[in-house]
Amino acid sequence: MSRATAAGLARGGAFAAAGIAFPFVFNQAWIVNIGVLTLMYAALATAWNLFSGYTGYITLGQAAFFGLGAYTLGITFQHFGIGSGYNPFYALPLVGAGIAIASLPIAWIALRTRHMTFAIVTLTLLFIVQQLAFNLRSLTKGSTGLMLPTPHFAIDSYDTPFYLAMLAILLAGLSLCWLILRSKLGLMLLAIREDEEKARGLGIRVTGAKLIAWWLMVWLSAMVGGVWAYYLTFIYPESSVDPLVMIGAVLMTFLGGRGTLWGPTVGALVLVPAQQYMITKLGASRLYLVGYAAVFMVVLLLLPRGILPSLRSAIDAQRERRRTHREPRVREEAHA
Amino acid sequence: MHELVQAIILGILVGGIYALMASGLTLVFGIMKVINVAQGALVILAAYLSYALFSHLHIDPFLSILIVTPAMFVLGVAVQLVFVRSLRGPDGSELSLLVTWALALGIEGVLSVIFKTNFRVTSPSYADNSWSIFGYQVSEVRVLAFVASAVLLLALSLLLTRTRFGRAVRATVQNPTAATLLGVDANRVQTLSFGLGVSMAAAAGAVYGVIYPFNPGSHYDLISRLLSIVVLGGLGSLGGAVFAALAMGVIEAIVAVKISPVWSSFSFFVVLITFLLVRPQGIFGVRERVL
Amino acid sequence: MTRKTLARLAALSGAAALAAVVAAAGSAAPTKGSAGPIKIGISLSLSGDFSDPGKFAQQGYKLWANTVNAKGGILGRKVQLIIQDDASSPTQAATNYQNFITKNKVDLVFGPFSTLLTAPSAAVANRYGYAFIEPAGGGPAVFDQKLHNVFFTQPAPVVESGDVFAKWIISLPKSVRPKTAAYPALDDPFSSPIADRMRGMLEKAGIKTVYKTIYASETVDMTPIISKIAAAKPDLVVGGTQAGDGYSIVKAMVQAKFSPKFLFLSNGPNSPGEFPSKVGAKNVNGIFSASDWFPQAKTPGNPAFVKAYLKAYGGTAAAIDPGSAEAYAVGQVVEALAARIHSIDNKKVIAALHSGTWPTVEGTLHWNAIGEPQGQELLMEWQGGKLNPVLPAGVATSKPTYPKPGWGK
Repeated sequence: MSRATAAGLARGGAFAAAGIAFPFVFNQAWIVNIGVLTLMYAALATAWNLFSGYTGYITLGQAAFFGLGAYTLGITFQHFGIGSGYNPFYALPLVGAGIAIASLPIAWIALRTRHMTFAIVTLTLLFIVQQLAFNLRSLTKGSTGLMLPTPHFAIDSYDTPFYLAMLAILLAGLSLCWLILRSKLGLMLLAIREDEEKARGLGIRVTGAKLIAWWLMVWLSAMVGGVWAYYLTFIYPESSVDPLVMIGAVLMTFLGGRGTLWGPTVGALVLVPAQQYMITKLGASRLYLVGYAAVFMVVLLLLPRGILPSLRSAIDAQRERRRTHREPRVREEAHA
Repeated sequence: MHELVQAIILGILVGGIYALMASGLTLVFGIMKVINVAQGALVILAAYLSYALFSHLHIDPFLSILIVTPAMFVLGVAVQLVFVRSLRGPDGSELSLLVTWALALGIEGVLSVIFKTNFRVTSPSYADNSWSIFGYQVSEVRVLAFVASAVLLLALSLLLTRTRFGRAVRATVQNPTAATLLGVDANRVQTLSFGLGVSMAAAAGAVYGVIYPFNPGSHYDLISRLLSIVVLGGLGSLGGAVFAALAMGVIEAIVAVKISPVWSSFSFFVVLITFLLVRPQGIFGVRERVL
Repeated sequence: MTRKTLARLAALSGAAALAAVVAAAGSAAPTKGSAGPIKIGISLSLSGDFSDPGKFAQQGYKLWANTVNAKGGILGRKVQLIIQDDASSPTQAATNYQNFITKNKVDLVFGPFSTLLTAPSAAVANRYGYAFIEPAGGGPAVFDQKLHNVFFTQPAPVVESGDVFAKWIISLPKSVRPKTAAYPALDDPFSSPIADRMRGMLEKAGIKTVYKTIYASETVDMTPIISKIAAAKPDLVVGGTQAGDGYSIVKAMVQAKFSPKFLFLSNGPNSPGEFPSKVGAKNVNGIFSASDWFPQAKTPGNPAFVKAYLKAYGGTAAAIDPGSAEAYAVGQVVEALAARIHSIDNKKVIAALHSGTWPTVEGTLHWNAIGEPQGQELLMEWQGGKLNPVLPAGVATSKPTYPKPGWGK
């Protein structure tokens, strides 16, 4: 095992341990609730980053798969009865995998188009899924909304199972990203991001690589949607396929640093608690949306690379300066 | 049959207005490879401006095009200078997608603070009049809106084909590097074209407000249609956008009467995806180069 | 080295953010005692899609709190409202109620605006054993949960809004009763269920359905639907509508020169301030709609409410939105509770509200086991340019008229 690998594993282990310990240390329900939301966005942002951050293809359709996950779980409850309590959590990886497989043909069509067209086509998917949720009323109950059964978890630690489920998805996403970044697939995705034509010319199976990343993105997003639906117990088309949720995840990815491993998680750790704090403090103003847009604009225009890459280059520059500082002194010593 | 003809008439009238909105979007893409996701929000902003002019100063909404369009042109130039121009580099066009999205949210936020979120409609005295032509009911304002859109689209195409500025624009679309070498000021062309694209949204917005009730959130629905139109038509193709807009209007109106109104916009999205299977570059588009 | 520093920074920024939240909680210093004010948590949509109705509810709630505090409060304690924005998002609404209950340790919670936000919020309140008296969540999604802690402060569930009109139509003599009907309805939890239910009642009475359709909320163009309806020539058109599409339907009918003998729209025409300006003042007469409240109502406390409202916010009585009255009624219920059981303990509150009748500006309310009010909505009709309550007979100021005059009359 190389040193870098060991360090990576140690970091991941520390994060996982801290994450698991959190709801038991800060066990007030409202804090765990904020934890659930933070992890939800962190997982969504990590999933978005896994595809869009690594391939350079911006998808605006992630909310469609979040919504599909939510509805699939809701419909499964409604029509097949998958039990209550912890059982639905165990069914989620399968639900997500099914949705991800079903999305592959559409992804294949969408990936025939190039960057800008691709972004728009994926945005279209979002509206298609939302309209299906409205119109297939026998399955989804349409605009009336779908109720999920409330699980009978102990009231004092009611939020903890949802917290741990979100954490598990985030950790799965982070592990996948970590593995991809140090695998051949990672190199292929990077080559696509740099110059797709050249990558294709070099014999890289670009479509296959993109589809694998897409599949993982959909799998993770759908699972997050499922946990969210179970947590909230009530879903309807506008709330389940909500462009604002996705744009929130994108914003966090950009804030933390896209294309990096920890960037999306950092972005979520900063923005979600900040947003909750703002709502508590400035709750009564109507400027919420304007403020949101302003933060987004500032991040995109002033910090387009994100916190982590900017910090890294700042640190590198600092070290560079220190070295150039030191060097003349060394030379002086040599003179002396 | 009667019903079908009525639907087609309606679809063409509606499509004309969407063509005007989409023309600005596709023009801007052709020149600077920027998708202005805020185009829908700018249409709604213009609808509110025209509404305000009508309800406070009693200016006819069709006449207000002459005021709203230049004002929004200035706004468009400002947006390009402040937000869009700084986005350079390899990710520039992708970033522009998100920056203009943020702009759309900002416009929506400001509008809902100023005008609240209830639905408005600009109702001049003749808003409810309609003509009977061979037994078909045709609303006056819709015909007026269609004519206004057609005139503006014609003016735009004349501007692009018959003027010095238009030649510079077309040269930039075809080959930006060569255009610069030939002495075209690329920055100036980009800024002015962005303003032009926004003024198309403005003109369309003024007439939109007469025909449809709108609120600050209406831009989501608009932009989803507009983006589908420009992709179907082929990004950057003006003729493609007009054709696709009319096709959308007709498809939606026919599905609404023959099947159900809830499936009408869905059907257009499905047409788009199916079409991309055959022709990923859209009807009149050229295959997008990797930037 | 750099990487490790970065990881540490990432961990730090996360910890800092959490610390900020925890600190915020600490400063709130929740105390629950009988000495302090009665704290009431309310999540309202002050931004986003539901922000207009959210604003009306806020006015009603605040007006009630000020009124009751001027009288010395409840049970000798002042009332303190803790209002938080949910940006029209159900996730945020549920989060806000969780905060009220587990962080602010409020004594009571009142409902948010809209059924779609009420359903998940009521589930949170139920989990912690809180009563959920709510002004606006009257759609099927709320009652389908079959929660025991929900109490909806309007005269009837939203689905039943058109019942009074349908029963009146059925009661008309055969010669004038409509024979055919068309049902356009908005795909919305407060609209299409109303039309569906009315269609069931009217079909049973032998009124033939010649056309029905559901349209999406982004359907801004009513012309194709209206041209189909006009072609079917129904005597009666029943629209399950909200405001915007209600206006569009009337405008499209005027353009198509189609005026049915009877026209009922569940929402739109019931907004006296807006409707004439949206469709033209000359086109309003003879149109029916439903409402839960009107300014001249002689319901308990209503004259005082209207007077206080005009004093606090200005404007005219006709421009008061029923949303404010609905929210005010929630407060009245709590006031009555205090007088009757001398307690605002949630367990006792829930038990008490399941029996007896409760006087409010929305009428004297009583609920079944799942919180559905057991009264009747009002039937409103535009007559001579004014919106009048025409049924039920006890509260009506005039009688319903028919058939509807043509457009412009």
